[in-house]
Amino acid sequence: MATTTTEQLGGYGQSVKRKEDPRFLRGKGTYIDDIKLPGMLYMDIVRSPFAHAKITNITTQPALDIPGVLAVITGKDLDAAGLAWMPTLMSDRQMVLPVDTVMYQMQEVAAVIADSRYAAADGAAAVEVDYEPLEVVVDPFKALQDDAPILRPDREIKSNRIFHWEAGDSAATDKAFAEADVVVEQDMYIPRIHVASIETCGCIAQVDEVSGKLTVWMTTQAPHAIRTVFSLVSGIPETKIRVISPDIGGGFGGKVPVYPGYVIAVVAALTTGKPVKWIEDRSENLQADSFARDYHMKARLAATQDGTIKALDVVTIADHGAFDAAANPSKFPAGLFSIATGSYDLETAHVEVDGVYTNKPPGGVAYRCSFRVTEAVHMIERMVDILADEIGADAAELRFKNFIQPDQFPYKSPTGWEYDSGNYPAALQKALDQIGYQDLLREQQEKRERGELMGIGISTFTEIVGAGPSNTFDILGIKMFDSAEIRIHPTGSAIVRIGVQTQGQGHETTFAQIVADELGLPVDNIIVEHGDTDTAPYGLGTYASRSTPTAGAATAMAARKIRAKAKELAAHLLEVSADDLEWVDHKFQVKGSPGSSKSMAEIAFAAYTNHPQGMEAGLEAVSYYDPPNLTFPFGAYICVVDIDRGTGMVKIRRFLAIDDCGTVINPMIVEGQIHGGLAMGMAPALLEEISYDEHGNIRGGTFMDYLLPTAMETPAWETGRTVTPSPHHPFGAKGVGESATVGAPPAIVNAVVDALSHLGVRHIDIPITPWKVYKILEEHGAAE
Amino acid sequence: MRFSGTERIPATREQVWAFLTDPNAVAQCVPDVESLEVVDPTRFKAQVRAGIGPVRGKFGFDVAWQELTQPSRARMTAQGKTGGSAVTVDSAMDLSAASPGETDLAWSADVVVHGMIASVGARLLDGFAKKQTEQFFGCIRQKLTG
Repeated sequence: MATTTTEQLGGYGQSVKRKEDPRFLRGKGTYIDDIKLPGMLYMDIVRSPFAHAKITNITTQPALDIPGVLAVITGKDLDAAGLAWMPTLMSDRQMVLPVDTVMYQMQEVAAVIADSRYAAADGAAAVEVDYEPLEVVVDPFKALQDDAPILRPDREIKSNRIFHWEAGDSAATDKAFAEADVVVEQDMYIPRIHVASIETCGCIAQVDEVSGKLTVWMTTQAPHAIRTVFSLVSGIPETKIRVISPDIGGGFGGKVPVYPGYVIAVVAALTTGKPVKWIEDRSENLQADSFARDYHMKARLAATQDGTIKALDVVTIADHGAFDAAANPSKFPAGLFSIATGSYDLETAHVEVDGVYTNKPPGGVAYRCSFRVTEAVHMIERMVDILADEIGADAAELRFKNFIQPDQFPYKSPTGWEYDSGNYPAALQKALDQIGYQDLLREQQEKRERGELMGIGISTFTEIVGAGPSNTFDILGIKMFDSAEIRIHPTGSAIVRIGVQTQGQGHETTFAQIVADELGLPVDNIIVEHGDTDTAPYGLGTYASRSTPTAGAATAMAARKIRAKAKELAAHLLEVSADDLEWVDHKFQVKGSPGSSKSMAEIAFAAYTNHPQGMEAGLEAVSYYDPPNLTFPFGAYICVVDIDRGTGMVKIRRFLAIDDCGTVINPMIVEGQIHGGLAMGMAPALLEEISYDEHGNIRGGTFMDYLLPTAMETPAWETGRTVTPSPHHPFGAKGVGESATVGAPPAIVNAVVDALSHLGVRHIDIPITPWKVYKILEEHGAAE
Repeated sequence: MRFSGTERIPATREQVWAFLTDPNAVAQCVPDVESLEVVDPTRFKAQVRAGIGPVRGKFGFDVAWQELTQPSRARMTAQGKTGGSAVTVDSAMDLSAASPGETDLAWSADVVVHGMIASVGARLLDGFAKKQTEQFFGCIRQKLTG
């Protein structure tokens, strides 16, 4: 029998073309707004122009007078049903609709239900709301002052401090700093940014008038968790709630939270008895949905004179907006920020974060990052460069000197993480060689002598993804395992259902490839389904690069369960003992007798037509995988910039990303993920920021002011790879979706600062806009 | 935002005062006023259709005189709102005789905007305010000169 190769099957390491692309490229995807149900009503939302105000009156009649408008729902209506507030994932609560006070600009104030989207919008414009403005707090530092108004009087603790969180060893860190030869310190601000996914948020809620079953099609990254929370809040049993997350046009963490619009649409469907659709417009999405970052950090590094880093200390004020609706695992109010020691072998560290309420929409979305890892990586990668500047060391040499060495894994970090694997020197060396670091240093020197500004920036980041082990990771008590269910059909094709949900990551392809390789079935014969709570096994969803580390592992484990049964079937078919069989070239063959073998297709047919007495028919398995540890992808990025002294414009001339995400399932998809991640890393470094004026007005509420990168701004990325498999993952994968978003910003900032370092510049907060650079050049007499 | 300026008007202080403090007279000079309702001698309501860049709407303004020191000083507050936007204005006028037939009007306005008009229209607000102000005083000059 001919050998079946991984390449033929489309297994691990094969650049199989994405199975989902034909429908997307033809415009045949099914997004929420593509779904139209008979008799469907439409909802639009009245939003607050004020950042903080009392609602003194709401007049709904002018809206109800508009033809087609059927109902207006206010906070008082919801309050009567006990639904004016909802729980957040972080043990806080959030207004669905306010009863008497608005907490941020664009907050939902009322909802209009109508028989067309136009009538709903007209109705929303006609609702008259009287406000009495209250003192606005936009600065988290001011929010912590004694004379600041208490923004959340509904809470028992009368303070704007939401939480105080620490990790590491405070006393040992203080001691290390007291004894250090060199201490560098830097304040850094990582501004508020928005995921700005192409598809905005929305839903359709439908109640079956016979069974009473509620079906919600919604833009969510975690349909099962949503179903459970809906059930707990409403008292409706989970059997009567179905959440379907169809094609999703980008999530990036922004579709993890439960937004008030979803809840109001469900209430509207329950009260009208008709399906109700709600789709945000772009401004609502950009101005009101949860935000990411907004970390004010004060960081210090202690080191010896020769550049051995001893200790790290970081004090952070985190602006969470009006409600702590961050999307972190419940026991991690500051996410995984304690990964802050990065790729470096420090003796000790101490990090602390205080979460603060302000009059802004909720913050804390893990924007393409594993819960505050972006902030941590930005900080440590900047601090290493600042130390290099302080002691006159080369940024690459200083990193080599302080890296955790390959033989130190598994490595226990000073803040308590156990890094599973890594080879940081190899990745950096590869990057330096590939980009020609020494040549670039020479070129920079020559250019500097001519007065030209060129910078080289390095980022050697470590990620922490794949949340997570059930002993520490849960969301409202639900452990963060994930799942897969595989059913092999008699003719050797398969359906795979997974507990995670794709928003563009390519799961329909990569999860099929796992099964293809593990079971020896062609990838074309395998379909992957996800996102429907009535059919998919329970899972916690896709975010924080957790799909492959958790559900990917579950898929491999389920496939291996099937393979175990298949072995018994093969033994029956070949009339030998199962002990005499081995899995070779994706089929079972009799040891020492390559001619006697059975393929999975043959075995699958037998499972339904010729299974032995005493064995159950069929060939399927389910696995719920509880990862023993997180995974730690890493990379070495190098950015080369040129700066225009006349305009302050930063041009990324080259950007090389060497990534290590362990075993690669599909190199093409990994490269695509890295390209997308790099663009989303470059954007906050150079372009994106959401800020507020003193009245709490959002600045950057449209794409005219909130600058997303287009093809014009995006450079040609160079990529490369090292492979250090995860020792605890079934096939060694680590996750890759967010590495580039996390790793790219400090490489870019380090390059810009390097270009200006001879002028005495040591740090620039992102986004590094031309205006910011030009002002620095002017201050140093270097502008043209 | 604070706007201020001084205008020389070819009329006596009394004439200027009488014009500016008569809602029906002054409304003729406020651009895009659709309707006016005088509530009492110190308060009136106005419907103004305004468009700043992509933000357009009919603003309902509640206007009140806070200070009337005839014929030299007046202070007025106005609260306006439309769906998604709100604006508050605190404006003062000082009248002084420049010459027997001319009056200097020194005016200032503190304007606070909220909502879409601020988040979307912010970059156009200065130009919008300048244009409206020029139209307003141009109209007053014309009315009082005529």
